[in-house]
Amino acid sequence: MSIFNLHLPILDEIKEHGLKTTVRDRSVDVVTRLTSGLSPSDIRSILRDDPPGRPNPRLKPHSEGFWLHMKPTYYHQLMDGVYPTFRLGWLSTFFFVFEIITGVLLMVYYTPSPAFAYENMLTILGNVPFGRLLRDMHRLGAELMVAVVMLHALRTFLTGSYKKPRQFTWATGMILLLVTWLLSFSGYLLPWDQLSLWAVTIGVSMVEAIPPEIVGQTVNLLARGAPEFGANGLLRWYLLHVVAMPLVGIIFFGVHYYKVIHHGHSLPPEDEEVGEDTAKRVPTDTRVYFFPTIATRELFYTVALTAMMVVGSLFIHAPLEPHADPLITPLHSTAPWYFLWLQGMLKLGDKVIWGLIVPGVLISGLLVLPYIEVGPSRRYGDRRIGLTAGAVTTLLFAILSYMGSPWYAVQTSAEQEAVAELVPETHPGPLRLSDWNELQVGTYDASAYEAAPTEALHDLLEEFDHELARIPRDERTDHEGIMVIENWQTGLKKITLRVLWTTVADGNPGEYSQTLYLHEDSNYGQGE
Amino acid sequence: MTDAVAEAPAESAAPERLPLTRREFLNYLWAMSMAVFMAGGGGLTVWFLYPRFREGEFGGVFTVPLGELPPADAPPKEFPEGRFWISNIGAGVEQDPRQPEDYPLQQGLRAIYKVCTHLGCLYKWIEANDRFECPCHGSKFLQTGTRIDGPARRNLDVFPIEVIDAGGNVLARTEPSLNSQEGTAVPLPDGAIAIRVDTGRRVTGASNSAPGGGF
Repeated sequence: MSIFNLHLPILDEIKEHGLKTTVRDRSVDVVTRLTSGLSPSDIRSILRDDPPGRPNPRLKPHSEGFWLHMKPTYYHQLMDGVYPTFRLGWLSTFFFVFEIITGVLLMVYYTPSPAFAYENMLTILGNVPFGRLLRDMHRLGAELMVAVVMLHALRTFLTGSYKKPRQFTWATGMILLLVTWLLSFSGYLLPWDQLSLWAVTIGVSMVEAIPPEIVGQTVNLLARGAPEFGANGLLRWYLLHVVAMPLVGIIFFGVHYYKVIHHGHSLPPEDEEVGEDTAKRVPTDTRVYFFPTIATRELFYTVALTAMMVVGSLFIHAPLEPHADPLITPLHSTAPWYFLWLQGMLKLGDKVIWGLIVPGVLISGLLVLPYIEVGPSRRYGDRRIGLTAGAVTTLLFAILSYMGSPWYAVQTSAEQEAVAELVPETHPGPLRLSDWNELQVGTYDASAYEAAPTEALHDLLEEFDHELARIPRDERTDHEGIMVIENWQTGLKKITLRVLWTTVADGNPGEYSQTLYLHEDSNYGQGE
Repeated sequence: MTDAVAEAPAESAAPERLPLTRREFLNYLWAMSMAVFMAGGGGLTVWFLYPRFREGEFGGVFTVPLGELPPADAPPKEFPEGRFWISNIGAGVEQDPRQPEDYPLQQGLRAIYKVCTHLGCLYKWIEANDRFECPCHGSKFLQTGTRIDGPARRNLDVFPIEVIDAGGNVLARTEPSLNSQEGTAVPLPDGAIAIRVDTGRRVTGASNSAPGGGF
């Protein structure tokens, strides 16, 4: 009768127990297999926070499944609060995953070519639903990830958690810090705007200083893809950003987290005897199990943080400067904030010493810190020298970062600085952000700002007048700031900022002026 | 007798250890060949990644007729397509008191590479201060190319200049100066009609790191 012999055991089961019972049993089976050992009734008991049975079925996903195989089945209750971890390691992981998801989505609308990249940015900003939100979230997440990873390292130092047996965990963490910096920095070039080009040019020029010269030049050429940044360079940095660095990051994250779990989370220093490490000997009554406590909490953090990122990105926008121009370096170009300390050091002197040897020694010193600093006690009171050194380093980091910012030691001539305050070359600035309609046609004297017809003009002229006070009086006199606003085309105004003075030495008049055109729909504030 | 019997198996259980067994030696050899292979592969990867560009693609030789050159002591003139500034050092610039003594001047033309010797930004000519200033880290250079301030640690680089006459003969060219090995300024002899700037060959500026300029 049968053409081929097909035996389906489920048919036997249905015959024996009836359809309803069979479907129920099979569903339970499928759920248990997908969760690596949690049946629906186990899941319900987790959600109800019932006491687990014996043996505890909630440990099965850890021992049998892939996703939780590294995750511990329970934490020490001392590690359940905000102190001592401040959840910074978890946050770093969250942002890494967050960046991968937003990044992959942004890749859909991006072409790594100087001919298209900037245009792609405009498309993402103006013509892709939620495009700007995704770009803002990716950028904000990147900045926060760098901050969180750095704070994570600082916290590990403060609680002495880098000490034996966790030296290698610290070393891989330092590599992850470098990966995070490079991940964030390599993303800088992709929009192909002025910030991209010059921040990365400065960064790569530091590498060019590697002695001997042949090595520096080779690394420089490999990084730029040509003597100057162009199509090859952009493609290389794109691949570094989307393939190479994430791959290295994932590998070292695996090693780092494996080590964290292998040694156990280090307890607050004051809760252990000096020289002891009890992280792996957690008494039964102090255990907090992953299911349900930690799992639900981490789920909640994920949801809350994602919501915060969405809301934050509504207010904090990723900047986009004018299209990259290899012929003009904007005044006050800087590297990203987490490299300002390096820029600050570079102002101190020779780039081989301050751009390479000192940072190299610092970073390798941090990498091997736990193998050098082998004091047994993690207690704050026993580590006065170490903690002082940490505080001094953090302070130096802040001071060097300030020194790296444009406010320190980079001054061009005063009239150009004054005009650049109103019309900066690295961000929109007050004039471009002013209400277009309030910029009434006319000629205005900066010193007569009280008489300005509109509030926006009043503020701009007042700032202009204030900035002109920078001009040194012993060199120049009779300085005058003038702003001329003309209707240039329909919906387009021409604004000229002019500074006039007389040189004291020879009595000759001097002049500096800058012109910009503002369209009614320029939208420098991105709709704000 | 019994003693001898008891000792014999003890000796054979601990045979003399060879310093290197044949298998160990072959395994080291194998590992070394792997290491050589990996090193070779690494080298090939660098070679693969090394950008290919023609020699002289960066700029090439630019010919500038005499009429386009800035007059002596005038502000330097930018030639963006060749990535250089031409500075014409006259009697006025030669006597500039800001010029550090370590870098003596002669009158003539210099073709100065437009990239700051610090970290690769493009400096600008700031007329009011009569000097080049870098917008990134604030290095300052005189129009002669000599650094006077800022984090840069050497004078600006120059490209060699050749002055040619109507017949295409070279009348004068940039030479290394005797004290600093920097490219010298080239005077314009009679009969010159143009200069040629070779941007394929860059002459590195002399080391200069003292405050205010100098060795």
